[in-house]
Amino acid sequence: MQKFLLLLALVICIAGCDPRTDDLPQPAQSAYVPVYYKSENIGVTKFIAARPMQRAGKQYVIGGLLLQNEINEGIHIIDVTNPSSPKKLGFLEIPLCTEMAVKQGFLYTNNYDDLLVFDLRGPGEPKLLKRIENVFPPANQEYPPFFNVAFECPDPAKGVVVDWELKSNITTKCRR
Amino acid sequence: MTFNNIRFSFILVLITLFYVSGCTKDGESVSKSYQGQGGSTARFTLNGDYLYTVDARKLSTYLISDPVNPKPVHTQDVGFEIETIFPFGNKLFIGSTSVIHIFNIDNPAKPEKLSTAISPTVMRRCDPVVAKDTVAFATLRTSDACGDIQSILAVYDIKDILKPVQKASVRLNAPRGLGYADTILYVCDGPGLEIFSIKNAYKPRFLNELRDGDYYDVIPYGNLLFAWTKTGAVIYDITKPAEPKKLSMIQ
Repeated sequence: MQKFLLLLALVICIAGCDPRTDDLPQPAQSAYVPVYYKSENIGVTKFIAARPMQRAGKQYVIGGLLLQNEINEGIHIIDVTNPSSPKKLGFLEIPLCTEMAVKQGFLYTNNYDDLLVFDLRGPGEPKLLKRIENVFPPANQEYPPFFNVAFECPDPAKGVVVDWELKSNITTKCRR
Repeated sequence: MTFNNIRFSFILVLITLFYVSGCTKDGESVSKSYQGQGGSTARFTLNGDYLYTVDARKLSTYLISDPVNPKPVHTQDVGFEIETIFPFGNKLFIGSTSVIHIFNIDNPAKPEKLSTAISPTVMRRCDPVVAKDTVAFATLRTSDACGDIQSILAVYDIKDILKPVQKASVRLNAPRGLGYADTILYVCDGPGLEIFSIKNAYKPRFLNELRDGDYYDVIPYGNLLFAWTKTGAVIYDITKPAEPKKLSMIQ
């Protein structure tokens, strides 16, 4: 009896796991395609000259300072003591940075899944004082944040999935 | 080194200015309004001497009384598919893809779970929310992961934070973040920034609309209003809150 149950379980498993629909040709359709971030240099931060904003992210205001996130790229540091004539002081390059908070002159931010603490008190450029690794395990890498959609199955070898773009004419078997 | 040290010691001065004037508590400037759009949600928040972080399943608490050395003091399981965290009064709201978990932080070192969820159709993780006393304002949007039928500004009575009661709704186009100064509410709505009087909180009255960009969120900060637009930032003078005056744009 036990053997029979085992066999039955095996048969059910094999039947259940059989990806037979995969063999059928898939029609082209609109689907979400992963946007990858190439993972070399992912943990390297540096302070560079001010640059234009392209994809503005969240803001943080403290005193005469405006921190403006550049989505997935870093933080614009802006002097707004004269709000009619703000001055960009520089750009803090942090791969996959999206979050900011300041306490007593220390900036907390994320470098992908690591939590970083920078000293903004000067003199000189912001200094990286602390890195705590893996505080933010990666956001979902398996599927886009939408229901009832088709999407291109992510390939971890291509890097980290940071966004999803809706494209037409995609052939894929991944759905949710 | 090509950077001017004098310029950067200025950052210290800027921050110090803030501490001298001391008009706002640290962190308050960003705790007014929240973006919950998929992919760009808040993964951590500061509250006094504590830093709270969320990952897919857990809430972690760090003591940062020594700001350079965040010290992990507590970790607890919350649920599944956790996406965002925000403070709301003396509570932490933690949003998943389907529900909101509410934690009490009267003991900030050890958040205590109060409620498993609010109905996701009432106040959901997708919705930017601001609270003014016992009233909460939220924007519900049709075209994101939460997908409502009609985009609205919703006003809730939150005397019982665990049971928000919707008291009013105003139709909007494609709303995002919001914020208030005095009795004026600013709502990012598609290409415009809508200005409402909330003197009577349950009857928001439309006053005017600004069109200086594709607005995502706003931070009222003293006499200034910082607006986050698709391409950068806009700063307004809101000495008269109902009549913001554009001071500058940063791109």
